[in-house]
Amino acid sequence: MDDPDGPNVPAIFKTLPPIRDSLATETSWMQDETVKECLPLLAGAGAGTRSLFDYNEHGVPSLEREKHIEYLHERLGPLPEGFVAFDAARPWLIYWTLTGLCLLGENVDRVAQTFTPMQNSTGGFGGGHGQISHCAPSYAVVLSLAMVGGHDHFDIIDRRALWKWLGELKQSDGGFRVCTGGEEDVRGAYCSMTMISLLGLPLELPPEAPARAHGLTSFLSGLPEYLSRCQTFEGGISGAPQTEAHGAYAFCALSCLSMLGSPQEMIPKYIDLPMLISWLSARQHAPEGGFAGRTNKLIDGCYSHWVGGCWPLIEAAINGPKHAEEPNSGSLFSREGLVRYILACCQQDTGGLRDKPSKYPDAYHTCYVLAGLSSAQHYSYYSNAPPMEGLAVLQWRSSQEIRKRNGQLQRAVFEADDRLVPIHPIYVIPYAAAKAFQDWFASKIRF
Amino acid sequence: MGKYSGSETWQDVVPIPQDDGGPNPLAAIAYTEDYSEAMSYLRAVMADNEKSERALSLTEDIIVMNPAHYTVWLYRADVFFALEKDPLQELDWLNKISLKYLKNYQIWHHRQLIMTKIPSIPPTELPFLAQMFEKDSKNYHVWSYRQWLVRHFSLWDDELPYLESLLEEDVRNNSAWNHRWFVVFSRYVDPSAGTGADAAAIKADPEIVAREMEYAKAKIRLAPQNQSPWNYLRGVVKKREGGLAVLRAFAEEFADLAREDEVRSSHALDLLADVYAAEKEEEQAGKALELLARKYDPIRKNYWNYRRGLLGLKEVEVE
Repeated sequence: MDDPDGPNVPAIFKTLPPIRDSLATETSWMQDETVKECLPLLAGAGAGTRSLFDYNEHGVPSLEREKHIEYLHERLGPLPEGFVAFDAARPWLIYWTLTGLCLLGENVDRVAQTFTPMQNSTGGFGGGHGQISHCAPSYAVVLSLAMVGGHDHFDIIDRRALWKWLGELKQSDGGFRVCTGGEEDVRGAYCSMTMISLLGLPLELPPEAPARAHGLTSFLSGLPEYLSRCQTFEGGISGAPQTEAHGAYAFCALSCLSMLGSPQEMIPKYIDLPMLISWLSARQHAPEGGFAGRTNKLIDGCYSHWVGGCWPLIEAAINGPKHAEEPNSGSLFSREGLVRYILACCQQDTGGLRDKPSKYPDAYHTCYVLAGLSSAQHYSYYSNAPPMEGLAVLQWRSSQEIRKRNGQLQRAVFEADDRLVPIHPIYVIPYAAAKAFQDWFASKIRF
Repeated sequence: MGKYSGSETWQDVVPIPQDDGGPNPLAAIAYTEDYSEAMSYLRAVMADNEKSERALSLTEDIIVMNPAHYTVWLYRADVFFALEKDPLQELDWLNKISLKYLKNYQIWHHRQLIMTKIPSIPPTELPFLAQMFEKDSKNYHVWSYRQWLVRHFSLWDDELPYLESLLEEDVRNNSAWNHRWFVVFSRYVDPSAGTGADAAAIKADPEIVAREMEYAKAKIRLAPQNQSPWNYLRGVVKKREGGLAVLRAFAEEFADLAREDEVRSSHALDLLADVYAAEKEEEQAGKALELLARKYDPIRKNYWNYRRGLLGLKEVEVE
């Protein structure tokens, strides 16, 4: 029951779950600790550390927009010596920061020159100058350039060399390695296919691609089958066939499938959808409201995106393409729970967003918590506008209107000022950035 | 003079300093002088594709300063193989680094590459992994590596006792449950061919199925709200002929719809909803889903209502 004098926080976010086993193990102990650190922050004014005026009538604190912007700008450096661990991941730092800033409505420039020395003449980008090409920093570079915008920036990418290098990553079993000699996993497939589709690279494998010796001819050869082998007995999706189901890999696999065709066609064809939905849904915890990445693991703000970002893809797989005017058909998860967790538990007072209250913020969490917030604030749907040539990624639209299954408008527990820029459900950058980028490369006759 | 510029061993090498592409690069890191210098020499030897003892020690120097540097790891593996170094010695060194940098995953890929040069599993390998799991029993990279190891050296038959000890310690360790599935069932599935549906359709030896069902049920009885063994149990039942109905009586021990205030497991309710629906007892199925939406798992009420919708039932309002 709600406290008549307190803010309007539903009991589900203020009380322990109704069933709790008496057997204590490390997992249950850590879960209890996590709940303990979240409950005071979720309870709204009175119990938390903020002042009464920071909360709206739903007991939800506002987004510290200015502080997060400032925090992100600082992440663009110069960075102290301790950041040496990121020396092979500077494009990631830049991508996370730019995505966060774009979602908060900030414009960004001054990117291309930093990336130029990271590009290798043999194709692709490394994590820094003199580092071998790797699909993760290459993905981060490509998306960062898309966000910064400007044809001069776009054209620093040597697309033909990139295409040839990606051909080396394609494996005979349909998947992709992350770099030459590196591991093969779902990230490799997602990052590679993102670049191929955004940059309009040919789907045909380059003549020298080793996978051709095994009879593969296209980047898509065996790919959906590979992804389908990553679904586990639990229903979730793992990083490689037979490893443990994990939220981040679920997003990578679903996004990848949604690049190959409409989600309604591709996802049920290769994935046991009822099992996947059941598994994904079970990742949302109460009272915390946020998502965990695996069964019996703790919630972490970054899964607001990795798990939260799966829902638009799942909903499109179930509902099929929609008209702009068509009412949406309700959410499968608790948007309210996720928004409460993000705004109440993931914001650091001094700026930046975090895994959980006991952790420090960083660029990675700031990016993916904000991406999750944006996706919880918008209804993203796969539109039945006339299809574009090639891959099926420009069909996505978004709306601020979120409805329940019965058609009624869903109340929002966040303030209108706290709405973020909508995010593309596959590319994880703003819609406009993806469109401008893709249009530019589509306009090129030569490649 | 730096460690390299002042060394006779390196006198013939012209270091390549980092190109930042211009002034004020983004996310620039204030490297220590030692790191900057070592990286400049690395760029130089890599540009020459040099495979030498000094290159090997240079990679070690950089890895200690930044173990997340994938390029250095891959280059180290190249040099290591070119020089035909002793893989057991490399493992010793890796053990120390791995225990220090638990979240790093380049280490595990490198370990796998090194292990392919060793004809049989070194006796120290499993004790070392046990040490890793003592620090983090759900470490994704270590479990992925262990799967590779099991398949590579065909260790299938020896895994269950160790897994049993992990689950005795923490019956909620889902990674251990996943590994159990791997050694019992995935053993017979080719990870590089077919589709997930093909693998799911393979039935298992009825004796093994019976054994695994009993195992999961016993673990559920210890803590009925633990989702891991429920997921496992559902998976196992699909490995036999016949449907979920075989679990009906078992699940009803934990969730009796006639006594709705005494439900001991939301996972039992979830399972029963599927069992009742399959048996065409829609009303019972709807009731189970309603209890989940209203009382036992309301954060997922949209999902439970979606499931009710699939049965043609109207949604439950919960506020």
